This record gives sequence, structure tokens and C-alpha cells, in this order.
Amino acid sequence: MSEVVVEPLVTAKARRRLRLTRLVPYVLLQVLIVIACILMLRLMPPDDPDDYAVSEFSLRENGATQAVTLPHYTSSRYSLQDPPLYSGPFTFRANGAQTAWSVFLPRFSNAVEVAVNGVVILDSRRDDTANRPDRNTPQIAVITSSLLHDGSNQLTVRLFVWGPLKGFLDTVYVGPDDALRPTYETRTLLFVTLPVVFSAWQSLLAVILAIMWLMRRREPVYGVLALGMLIGALQAFVPPPVPPAPYPQLAAILLASAPIESALVVVFATLFFGWRWPRYGMLLFVPGLSILLVGLIASQPLPRIVFLFLGVPTVGLCLMLLAIIVTNAVIKRQDAASFTFGCAVTIVLTCWFHDMLSVFDIVPDDRTFVTRLSYSAMLVAIGAGLTWRFARALNQVDSFAGQLIARVREAEERLKASFAREEERARAEALANERTRLMRDLHDGLGGQLVSIVALSERGTDGAPIADAARAALKDLRLVIDSMDDIGGDLMLALGSWRERAAAQLRPHDIALDWHVATPQGLPLHPELRPWHVIQIVRILDEAVTNAVKHAKARKITVTIETLGGAPQDRRGVIRIADDGQGFALPDAGAANGEATGASQTARGLRNMKSRACRCGAALEIDSSPSGTSVRLQLPQRFPDSDTAAG
Amino acid sequence: MTEQDGAPAAITILLVEDDAPTCWRLQDALVKAGYEVRTAGTLGQARQAMAARAPAVLLTDLRLPDGHGIELIRETRQRFPDTEIMVISALGDEESVISAITVGATGYLLKDAFPTDIATTVRELVAGHSPISASIARFIVRRTQTTAAPPPGPLLNTARLTPREIDILWGIAKGFSYAEIASHLGLSRQTVPGHIKNIYRKLEVHTRSEAVFEAVQQGLIKL
Repeated sequence: MSEVVVEPLVTAKARRRLRLTRLVPYVLLQVLIVIACILMLRLMPPDDPDDYAVSEFSLRENGATQAVTLPHYTSSRYSLQDPPLYSGPFTFRANGAQTAWSVFLPRFSNAVEVAVNGVVILDSRRDDTANRPDRNTPQIAVITSSLLHDGSNQLTVRLFVWGPLKGFLDTVYVGPDDALRPTYETRTLLFVTLPVVFSAWQSLLAVILAIMWLMRRREPVYGVLALGMLIGALQAFVPPPVPPAPYPQLAAILLASAPIESALVVVFATLFFGWRWPRYGMLLFVPGLSILLVGLIASQPLPRIVFLFLGVPTVGLCLMLLAIIVTNAVIKRQDAASFTFGCAVTIVLTCWFHDMLSVFDIVPDDRTFVTRLSYSAMLVAIGAGLTWRFARALNQVDSFAGQLIARVREAEERLKASFAREEERARAEALANERTRLMRDLHDGLGGQLVSIVALSERGTDGAPIADAARAALKDLRLVIDSMDDIGGDLMLALGSWRERAAAQLRPHDIALDWHVATPQGLPLHPELRPWHVIQIVRILDEAVTNAVKHAKARKITVTIETLGGAPQDRRGVIRIADDGQGFALPDAGAANGEATGASQTARGLRNMKSRACRCGAALEIDSSPSGTSVRLQLPQRFPDSDTAAG
Repeated sequence: MTEQDGAPAAITILLVEDDAPTCWRLQDALVKAGYEVRTAGTLGQARQAMAARAPAVLLTDLRLPDGHGIELIRETRQRFPDTEIMVISALGDEESVISAITVGATGYLLKDAFPTDIATTVRELVAGHSPISASIARFIVRRTQTTAAPPPGPLLNTARLTPREIDILWGIAKGFSYAEIASHLGLSRQTVPGHIKNIYRKLEVHTRSEAVFEAVQQGLIKL
């Protein structure tokens, strides 16, 4: 009893140890990835051309004016009517060089209007992508040379903020365009072009997954992920409305997309790694839907505030759930898909933490958001994982098909062997049947005749009796050989040979054979006709002729062959043998008279004829009168298949 | 034709049969019918007998102690085209009979036939009739019909047979009398035996040309 309990304990312990040995290296690797991410994030913001930095500004905000140093966070959360105004001087040296000067703003939120000496040269609200706080879009504007004058110039930056985040303005750079533009382009590549590429990849993934789901409806996992990818792609490509927008609800939908998308990815991961979807799992969608609802009902800035306090944590929660699910899958499965996916989740989670610390000003930063960018790592991992799994499934299908082919081949071989055996058996059976038939036929005829030849010659009889018996034996041998011939169901061919034999038999007795085929075609064809049928019929005819010769003292035997019935299906062949002899007493009458051996022999002959006719399904009628005997054999419409009738 | 006068210028028959009782029996039947019969028990004896004088009729068994009757038939047909050749057979098996016909035989005789039938058959043969049985007729017709894969056995030049000849063969195979065949086909009764003679000749012609071809091939004849 105790052993039974102990054993599972041992295995459970072993399993736990195994899990631990798998978990530890994985976690260590994730820690390494986190460290690598942090280092990357430290290094990532491109170096700005510090020589041209303008950071001493005076800020007029809410009626009050103060001196500030950029980068600067304002306290404003939602100021469109009277936005914070930064103004500061910069020095322009013409030096005779004809280089154009530009204003370069690496980072700001949410929108800026830049003016030089009171003339507006840039309004970022017209640029859709620049309005996304998560995109870190830089801006550059060339200052028209006529606006600049040697010495001190005035730069003013109006910062539009529409919360929930506080306004932020990074250091502003003013200088020769060719000095500033490379930095601007690096930032554009990193924060504008790259996300577009990844969003395109996401759309593609959405299409592929949607097709997969359409082709395999039974697996909702692909449908869920396709929906998630679709929402993500829409969010990336639909331009966000700039306040005051005509359709503020659109903004709400875009806001709600991030938590909904991350929840869908969690659902995907759960199903993909073979977990059962928990009953309260749908709660994960509540924050996203709440944001959507609030966005549809309430006006700004409430939806943004709700987003900040509901949406962003939901994304984080989903990421952590993902990390847990994937870690479990890594331990359980140890496969490439879960491993890749796990590393991607760690990267995204690290970036999310980085962004959170930045949002809540816990870590002084230039407010570069990287979650969205790092999300692409997850997209790549998902694509790789799906492709890996697909390829593996194909391999499995291949090997399965190979096994199947091998099995089918085996079955074929077995079937062939069995067919061969069956054929061999059928052949042997046919041979045995044929042998039995031949034996019986030879025994009925040839055997008996040879025995009687032996008997006659032993008794010292010579002459006619022996000759008759031997001739009868030969005749029977010919009959048996003839019956083996394939006559294609045409009984006439057998009768043709029989006619010759009968004529030869009758000639010495001076009996004429009057052969008469009443219908041109003779007898109907019987495709089912078999040698043993033929032998029975020919023996009946032989017996009739023998009777006429031996007992009736006939002078002429008339054979009439005809077909009765008009329609092909009820045609019946009739063979009639009539003699002009003195006839004989039929068995019943003969028995009453108590006649001699001749009569009993006749009786036996008649019985034989009847039983042979019966075996073939033919009807036999015998009429005997002092003016002659008539034997009428009516053939069946169809000859029976087996010889069971007589036994 | 001259024999009809009953003159003793008897028809000579060479009987080749190795089984003595059978030979006696046939000889008795033929001698009784007025033929002059010489006998031979082997192929060699038969050749010897033929060397001196060609018989009017050659009656030969097929299985002989020193060879096959077919060779004798072929030689005889080539050397003495006027000699009538007949095969003696125990069972009348079609294969052997047809083989004999294709090398020049024009009839066959069953060993157990009644003496009168033996005499009659030979007489008919000499008179120009070629006896044919239902089973032989059937065998020939079968060969005309199986063109796809030639069955084993002797090659027959059956392609030369006319449809009318084939009809006649079918009639014989099915046991119709010459009269019935003639009336079915709209012929006079006397023409049917002539057709049968033709059939024999056509089957034989085939092998004659083949024999010439073979002789040329073997360098026996130069053309």
C-alpha cells in the first residue's frame, strides 16, 4: 500500500527537479536579455548635435512667466486654448556662407508650433504621425533666410498638450541644416520608418492568420491572433484625430485598441500552448471595452485619463500573464516556438517597464517610448513560431504519409498473396471437381466396359461380344474427350459429333439414321452449358439409340432437333429420337408382367436416362408402343449450375 | 474410274501401322474389299516400300517406332503428288489429324471403324472425296476465328478460306447433312464435297509453300 503512495511522490519530485533544471537556465537567460535591453535603451537615443543646443528659455504658462532649462516638463495636462509658450534667443552668424539654418526638435509632446522672430515656420499638428506620443516623432524645419538677421534672434515654441501626460519639450537645436539633418534622419528612421515596416509586417501576419483561420475553423487560436493583429495594424495606420477633431470617438477606438490587442494576444498564447481558457478570462477584455465605452460617451480628456489608468496597466498585466504562460510552456515543451516567444515577451516587458518609469517621472528621461517598437520583436517571434510549427506539422504529415504508403504497400502485398492463395485454391478446387467428374464419367462408361471385356475374354468368349464391349469403350472414351471441348454453349456442335458416332454405330445393323433439324438455328445457345451437361445429354441420346438397336428391332431411327417458343427468353430446345421398332413395356407394366432380363435392363436404362435428364434440368418423356418408341428430351431454359440434383 | 469395271488391276495401298493386331484388322478389311495391300511396321520399312513403287493410297499411323508419320506424309506428298494420303488414328484427335492435313493428308480413318466403313472411306477418298468429321470441321473454323492470339498447334492457312467454305464447315460441325447445308446456302448437293476438297487443298497449299521456303532456306533447292 505504502509503495503505491510513495511511487507517485518520487516521480512528482523527479518531475519538479526536472522542471527546476529547465526553469533556472531559462530565467537566467531572460535576466541577461533584460540587462541587454536596459543597456540598449541607454544607448539608443541618437546623439544630438550639442553645439547647436538652445536650452535657456523663458516659459509663460497660465499667465505666469519663469525661466526654464530644456528638457522641460510642464505641469499642464490639457492646454489647447492657451498653451505653454517657450521663448528664447539664439545667435545667428552669417559668416558669408550660404548654408540654410534649421530648427530641430528631437522630442516633444504632444504638438508644437515653432516661430522665428514671430513668424511661424512649423506646426506639427498637421503631421499625423507627429501627434502620436508613443511614436517619438522628431521635427525639423528650415528657417527662411530672410527671417534671420545677424546676431540675436528670437525663437518661440508653443506646446500643445492634450494629456493625460504632462507636456514635455526636449532640448531644441538651431543651426546649419546639414549639421542637424543627419540626426533628424536617424531619429526618423528609428521612430517613424521602422514602426511602419513593423506595422506592415503585422498587417501581413493578420492576413496570413486570417486565411489560416478561414481554412481551419476548428482552431480558433489563429482567428484570435488574426483579430489582434488586425486591430494593431488598424491602430498603426489610421491617423489619430488632432483635437479639436470632428470625430473624437475615433480617438477612443484607437485608445482602446492597445489593451484589447494585448488581451487577444494572451488568449492566443493560452490556446497556442494548449491551455484551457479560464472561465474568468474574459475579464481581461473589460479595461479595453471600458475605455471604448468611456471614449464613445464622454468627451476629452476623460478617455485619455481612463486609458492611462486602465489601459496601460492592462497592457502590462497582459505582458506579465504572457511571460508566465510562456515560461510554463518552455518548461513543459522545450520547443523552439515557446522559447523564441518567451524571449520576445521579456523584451517587450522590459520596454514596458521602462516606459512606465518614464511616464510617471520616476526615472528622469527624455520620454522616449519604446513599448510599441519592441512589440515588433513579439511579432517576429509569433511569425517565427507559427512558421516553425507549420513546418513541423508538414514534416509530421510527410512522415505520416510515408508510413501510410508503407502500410498500404504492405496491405497490397498481403492482399496479393491472399489473392494468389485464393486463385490457387480455386484452381485446385476446379481441378479436383473436374477430376471427380471425369472419374465418374469414366467409371460409368469406360470402366464398366473394360471390366466386361476382361470378363468376356476370361470366359474364353471370342468374337462379337468382346468387340462390342471394346468398341463401346472406345466410343465412351471419345465421348468423354469430346465433352471436354469448349463448344461455347452451342449444343449443336456436340450433337454434330454424336451424329457421326451414332451413324457409325447404326451402319452395321443396317439401321438408317434420319437426322432432321427442324429449325434453321437448331438449338438455342446456352452460355451456362458445361461439359458435364453435355455428357449427360449425349448419354441419354446414346441410351435411346442403344435401346432401339438392342431391343426394338428398328429399321430406322429419326432424330429431330428443334427450338420451341418464339421470344428469346422462353425458347426451349427439344431433341426427339423415334424408332419404328416393336417397342417395349414401360417399367411399371414390365414389373407386373414379370418379364425376363431384357426388360429389367431396359428398366435400368430408362431410370438412368431419367436421372441424367433430371441432373440437367431437362424433361424426359418416353412413349413406347408396338409401332415404335419415342424419346422426347426438352432442354431447360437455363442449365443448372451444380450437379447437386442427383448427388 | 477404270476400277469400276471390276478388273483385278487393283488399287495398291501401303498400310503403315506398328501394332500388329490393328494392322491385320485393317489389312483384312481392305483385302476383303479388293485392294492390294502392302504393310510396313516402321518408318524405315515404309520408305523402303515406297522406294520401289508409289502406292495409290498411303494409310499411315502417326506414332511409329522410328519416327513420326508426319514426315512420311510430307515426303510422300512431295515425291508422289498423285498418291492419296490418309491418317489412321485411334481417337480421331483433331490436333494430329489437322497436322497431317497440313502436310498433305486428305482424310483420316479411325482404327476401330467397322470393316465396311474402312473400305467405304478409302473408296470415297480414291473417288475424290475428302472425308471430314464434325469435330475436325469445328477445329478448322475455330482457327479461322481466333486471329488475336494463334492457339498452339499446327498453323492453318485459314485466311484463304472463303466465307462460303466456312459456312459449310460450320454446317458440318453442327451435324447438318450435306443436303441441309446445300439447301441453307442455296447450293447444289454435289458441290459441297467439292468445297471440302478445296478446303483440304487450301490448308495443304499453305504448308507446301512453307516447305519450299524452308527448302530454299536450308539450301536444298536453288531458285
